[in-house]
Amino acid sequence: MPASLAEIPQIAPTPLINSVVKNLVTLAARAWTKRWIITFTAPTGVGKSTAVDYAERTLPFDHQVIRCKQITTRYTLLQALALAPGEKWNTHGRNWMRASDLYERALERIRQQPYLLMVDEADRLRMDCFEIVRDFWDDARLPLLLVGNEILTEKINRQHERLFRRIRIRHTQPALREADLRKVLECMGYAVADEEFTLLWKLVGGSPGFAEALLENANEIAASHGVKRGIEALEGAVRYFPTLRKAA
Amino acid sequence: MRDIVLRAIHARPELTAELCRRGMFGPEEKAEILRHRSGEKSRYLPLRSVQFATLLAHGDAQLAARAVLRDLLARDELWWLERVLRFQKHNAKREELIRIVERALEGRKGKCPRASLKSRK
Repeated sequence: MPASLAEIPQIAPTPLINSVVKNLVTLAARAWTKRWIITFTAPTGVGKSTAVDYAERTLPFDHQVIRCKQITTRYTLLQALALAPGEKWNTHGRNWMRASDLYERALERIRQQPYLLMVDEADRLRMDCFEIVRDFWDDARLPLLLVGNEILTEKINRQHERLFRRIRIRHTQPALREADLRKVLECMGYAVADEEFTLLWKLVGGSPGFAEALLENANEIAASHGVKRGIEALEGAVRYFPTLRKAA
Repeated sequence: MRDIVLRAIHARPELTAELCRRGMFGPEEKAEILRHRSGEKSRYLPLRSVQFATLLAHGDAQLAARAVLRDLLARDELWWLERVLRFQKHNAKREELIRIVERALEGRKGKCPRASLKSRK
């Protein structure tokens, strides 16, 4: 985790309640009340993680969020679910615990006080992690909301047939519409001129994350030349993204 | 010629210039690069955080990995690098690079065992 929050660019603390946030919160509530497994997929940069952040702060029932990384393993997953905050996993010494002990502890916790588990970037989960998550549902009916990009659906369909059969809702979130993207960018603090927005829309469609990366690059290009960001700087930033250059 | 020097020569000139500026290469390597690209260092303005991270993300994965492992990136640059990498199509090299960046963000260093990727597929 980051050492100091001030060092890292922060996402707007209160995101605009757009369709992504609304749908995610609704599905989270549904998964919790019905004790279902639900998947929420959308292309990268649409604002899934921002929506998860918002849901984490506002959901009125017990929930836990796991943000997957490339380095997330079954051990990190089990530790997050079984250990109390600040508690360490003893792998040596008198009170050492096996991974199966951690699993039992996590199961006991769920049975005593059920909660909704939201997994952000679930497409990055490893095969064995998907199996553990399925076991949690089988053994304790742990409600699950798996959030990820298109790879998530593909991965579950292809590799985890038994988990696939247990999923009750598979929601595919479309990219934002033009007006929504403009609102989100304004909410993120970017004052975008019409011609800049037209170019952005043409290049990134309804993906505020991608638009943010482009605008930040444009801001830096403009700043290094000592001018305010304009369409030239944005066009300059496009050169940094080879895949977008073809679309431009 | 060393592999990494060859990669630097083939990379975008402003990126190579920035990597030279940040001290990624030794004197011999730098001389070799400059022989191929004379006046590189002075022609390009220093890159800022997001620019540097974006160029690294779209450039050679091994060059980027080396830059990360040699601690040439600040925290916010690592954060942006990880973010931009996630916008791209995934392949084994990029996944390995994301792992390296994530480990660097957590303060861990060193090589990530490739064998761990096998269980992912």
